[in-house]
Amino acid sequence: MPEPTDNIRATGSLVCVGLNYKTTPVEVRERLAFPENVVPQAVREIRHLPGFGESVVLSTCNRVEIYAAHQLPDGKTSHDELRDYLVRHFKLQPEHAEAMVLYNLDAAEAARHLFRVVSGLDSMVLGETEIFGQVKAAYKTALDTGATGKTLNKLFQQAFTVGKRVRNDTMIQRGSTSVGSVAVDLAEKVHDLKECRVMLVGAGEMSRTCAQSLLSRGAKSIIVSNRSYDKAVELAAEMKGVAMKFDEWEHALHEVDVIISSTSAPHFVIKKDQIEQVMRRRRWQPLLIIDIAVPRDVDPAVNDIEGVYLYDIDALQAIADEGRRERERQLALCEQIIEEQLAKFGFVNA
Amino acid sequence: MPLTSILLLAATLAFAAAVVQALLAIKSGAWRQAKAQVVLMALGFGLQTAFLYHRGQEVGQCPMKSVADILVFIGWSVVLLYFLVGSGFRLSLLGLFTAPLVTVMQGIALAQGFGPYAIKGKINALVELHAAVALIAYAAFALGCITGVMYLVQERMLKQHRIHALFYQLPPIQGLAKAIQRLVGLGLVLLSAALGISFALHTPVSNPKLVFSWIVWGLYAVISFLMWRHVTSPRRTAWLAVLGFVLPFISLWIVTHA
Repeated sequence: MPEPTDNIRATGSLVCVGLNYKTTPVEVRERLAFPENVVPQAVREIRHLPGFGESVVLSTCNRVEIYAAHQLPDGKTSHDELRDYLVRHFKLQPEHAEAMVLYNLDAAEAARHLFRVVSGLDSMVLGETEIFGQVKAAYKTALDTGATGKTLNKLFQQAFTVGKRVRNDTMIQRGSTSVGSVAVDLAEKVHDLKECRVMLVGAGEMSRTCAQSLLSRGAKSIIVSNRSYDKAVELAAEMKGVAMKFDEWEHALHEVDVIISSTSAPHFVIKKDQIEQVMRRRRWQPLLIIDIAVPRDVDPAVNDIEGVYLYDIDALQAIADEGRRERERQLALCEQIIEEQLAKFGFVNA
Repeated sequence: MPLTSILLLAATLAFAAAVVQALLAIKSGAWRQAKAQVVLMALGFGLQTAFLYHRGQEVGQCPMKSVADILVFIGWSVVLLYFLVGSGFRLSLLGLFTAPLVTVMQGIALAQGFGPYAIKGKINALVELHAAVALIAYAAFALGCITGVMYLVQERMLKQHRIHALFYQLPPIQGLAKAIQRLVGLGLVLLSAALGISFALHTPVSNPKLVFSWIVWGLYAVISFLMWRHVTSPRRTAWLAVLGFVLPFISLWIVTHA
């Protein structure tokens, strides 16, 4: 690691203390999470701790981190102060306080960590974008509360610049890493999602996830059909869709653009001749079929029909795996950008 | 080398560079909408326009009477339409598919060479208008052909589960199918207008010219009808839009030599 320059020493009062999904199990994380409405009070309290002048609290389901600027004689004291604050704030029993594993980062390490967090490199799903918005919201809360100053304002602005640069200059966001997001990507390449009507045949957990992903990205409507009609009604209500009796779903096939099938039937539920008729009624409008069931619900020969695109669970999983591998390949490039930016902003020597 | 040839060569090199840049980006797996792509296309378009201006000065009329000139004019119209309609798609990606076609067309034009025109009489503004509108119609058909190629590429990737860099950049196949329909429709309307103008011409028009123009019109009328009535699958209509462009492309030789 290069020796810090004078410029770096000027930002040496920066500290980050936190825990995340890698260091701490969810049972402990949930005990240490700051509810959204408590964060303004927390940043004020930390700012007024002896020796501290600025603070930002980032609290998500995967991490709790305090970024602060201090004038204490050494980093160790600041780490201890912030640890004690967490123990006091959450009224932790001694055994829980003892079990709490925190990372303590100073100056360049703290900046590097924030740059990695904001770029999605420290996330559970590598390259995910939600964290960027969460960091922005955390910073805004602190800013509005008056808990930030020169050091943290500069640091967070730099972090947002780095985050954008990493996303724009690399393909860390490219590809899908989960079956649900693969389903959305495929649907987007077949249809305009805003016009997309979805049908769930069977109400398994994974089909529910896929449908929710599609709806969250703007799919127009959803029909749910299940052997248990009550379950279909329940799921349809949850997704603001329409429930359909299981012996009726075939009649509505021509009206939908995406079919997600996940029944527990031991045989093919959707057959080639059935879809051929559907395609004639659809006047060749393309149809995406996602078959999540094992054993499969859809006859593979359906993929031979023009305008029909069939993906089974293995195909979806293979795409998601490739997406993850692609993101991992991008990791080195992202780290390089972060190191360049750390040098540019004077945290480390070039 | 005359100025016009230098301009056209430079324009062709700009489009070729756009192709190379895009192919390298795709090969590296890092394809995204690069500014360089749009800049190269804009540079090529500027040089094309300068070529047409100087060539027009040289021959004293709209340069649309030799195969080489017509190819350049269609190439220019294709790039113009690409900038006009491209924003409706993924601009640079349409450029990726447009640039090779224009490079090939201009390459053929450069190989053919540009000679002086034999002035047959006074220039008739209606004839010039007829020719210009017809060539812009051909450009719309060319862009329909390019969009057809994009459709077929995306469709193949979806069918074969080949999901990579290019897949994420191409628009949805349903959008591409609609774009083909619109471009073929636009070309048909423009060609109808060009043929309509020919009825008002007092200058005699040779039979092969008219016959071929009407054959092209008929072909695209049929393709439009098939698309409009959903008689056949979008994949087949995409093939029709791609293969259909062969006829107007070939007819250029017949029309210019008739």
